[in-house]
Amino acid sequence: MPKIKPALNLRMLKRVLLLLLIIVSRAIPVTAQDQKPEADLKAAFIYNFTKYIEWTNPPPENFVIGVIGTSPIYQSLMEIALLKKVNEKFIVIKRFENPEDISYCNILFVAKNSGYSPAAILDRVQRGTLTISEETGFAAQGMAFNFIISNQKLKFEVNPKAINSAGLKASSQLLKLATIIN
Amino acid sequence: MQVFTSVIVLFLCFTAFVLYHIKDYRARKANSMISLAQVLGTNSISAIQFQDNEAGKNILADLRTVTPEVLNAAILDANNKVFATYSRAEVYNIDFTKNFVKGQQTKFVDKNLLVYKPINNNDEMVGTICLRVELSELNTIIKTQYTIAFILLIIGVALAFVLALIMQRYISTRLLSLVKFMNHVGATDNYKTHFVNDGGNDEISVLSTVFNKLLDQITESQQRKDEFIGIASHELKTPLTSIKAYLQVLEKREHDERNKVYVQKSLENAKKLENLVYDLLDVSKIQSGQLVLNMAEIDIDVLIDETITAFQIISKQHEIIRNDTLSGIIVTADKQRIEQVLVNLLSNAIKYSPDTNRVIVSTSKTDKDVTIRVQDFGIGIANEEQDKVFNRFYRIKEKSGHISGFGLGLYICNDIINRHHGTIRIESEPGNTIFSVSLPLTTKKVNETEAAVYE
Repeated sequence: MPKIKPALNLRMLKRVLLLLLIIVSRAIPVTAQDQKPEADLKAAFIYNFTKYIEWTNPPPENFVIGVIGTSPIYQSLMEIALLKKVNEKFIVIKRFENPEDISYCNILFVAKNSGYSPAAILDRVQRGTLTISEETGFAAQGMAFNFIISNQKLKFEVNPKAINSAGLKASSQLLKLATIIN
Repeated sequence: MQVFTSVIVLFLCFTAFVLYHIKDYRARKANSMISLAQVLGTNSISAIQFQDNEAGKNILADLRTVTPEVLNAAILDANNKVFATYSRAEVYNIDFTKNFVKGQQTKFVDKNLLVYKPINNNDEMVGTICLRVELSELNTIIKTQYTIAFILLIIGVALAFVLALIMQRYISTRLLSLVKFMNHVGATDNYKTHFVNDGGNDEISVLSTVFNKLLDQITESQQRKDEFIGIASHELKTPLTSIKAYLQVLEKREHDERNKVYVQKSLENAKKLENLVYDLLDVSKIQSGQLVLNMAEIDIDVLIDETITAFQIISKQHEIIRNDTLSGIIVTADKQRIEQVLVNLLSNAIKYSPDTNRVIVSTSKTDKDVTIRVQDFGIGIANEEQDKVFNRFYRIKEKSGHISGFGLGLYICNDIINRHHGTIRIESEPGNTIFSVSLPLTTKKVNETEAAVYE
């Protein structure tokens, strides 16, 4: 029994933090208020992707998700990072201003309007990093995943070649839900 | 009774059998549907996670071909909101969230099975798979089971019936043969036989053994009785003969009229007593086979007339009428015994018709025999008693209470006539009783004499 207590406390602490975060986020006027649900959804999708990817080089300490460009998704990911883990590893969110900044990360999310071409980013990305973007046509340009809106619903494209060249494997469960781009 | 028991037992068995089958079927169905839901759930985890309703719908759509018995299906997300639905053709949609009971996986509603299977992914509840399954097979199964049970029941009952019938026939045949034998013994008074046991080892055999023992006991007691009658009649006869002889002497020597009447009365009663003792002696002789006939050729007509004349002297009230004559009819018989028979019949006729005053004796003749009939107009003998009057010590019921006798007369008569190869018959109704005695005419003189002696 005493062993469980700290775990409970940790969870409660996380919840309190999340609650504070939500209160703070509500308090601060967000410019893209209506973008919030979409950002949350995308963040959730990104988190869910981790479950269907076979990480050939497991992260040594923390599971790192990098975000390049400015996006509300960063905040949404932060919220998830507080509550969830990937393969028993804590999730750490990093922000990169430009491709030169890109360091070790397991997932690299390229925010819309980041202003960098996929080629420029992929050039800097290490092997073993799953790239995700949200710009039409980016999957065809070498991004592993790319969010699209189809029939007012969030969908995603997959570029299996990009996944393979990153040395990763995607589950068929995931692939069947995606639009495959070659 | 056996059949009824069988029916009840079979019925209970089959009911249990059918109920068990239904329960088993339901359990199996529930299990297989839970497994199906599990598979569907696992398949739809990614669809729920990526909120792909289309994918969820497609997963459920496979049910159409895989398990057509699923009427409705739905995927609920973690918040129990409907994520994807499926309905078989021509089946209305249902709202699974209404019947949802947390924790319960299966539920039987209106011959349908409801399945709620939570979808878990790494200990996280992702959603719920809901199924409504048609138990159409249940009706078929119930119908088939009932039909089979019914047919088996019929066969079982029929078998039980046949077996019972065979058993009963086997038992009753043996019982009936025993009963037949008992009746035969009762009718013929022949207690010296034994029932032949069929070698069985059951209650019927015990019954026959006991009956045989009983027969032995009856035979023994009859023998003792016969011995007693024999000894008693002999012992009574000697002093009685002496008394009678002295009374006869006294009668001759007595001149005082009053005393003479007394002596005559005594003599008369001594003679009655002597007759009874002679009857007993005769019975004893018949029983021990010592009754020997002294056969001689006699004129039956003369015998009848003589007997009537002699008897008329004793009978004061009744007139004995001989309404025909026969001439030259010769039979081979024991004259004394035939006379005894006639006297017996006449005496009975008078005894049992106290309120009338005549007895008619008639005769007739055929090529083979001569028949003598003694007819009275008295109380008569009931039909059911007519066969028994020739039995030893048999006396007509109720009416004979005030009439004296041992009930041996007709028994002796019957025996005497039988030894003469004749017959004695009775026809009777109230107010008219006829005893007829038929004796064969002399044809096989020698044979009959011998037969009579040896019998």
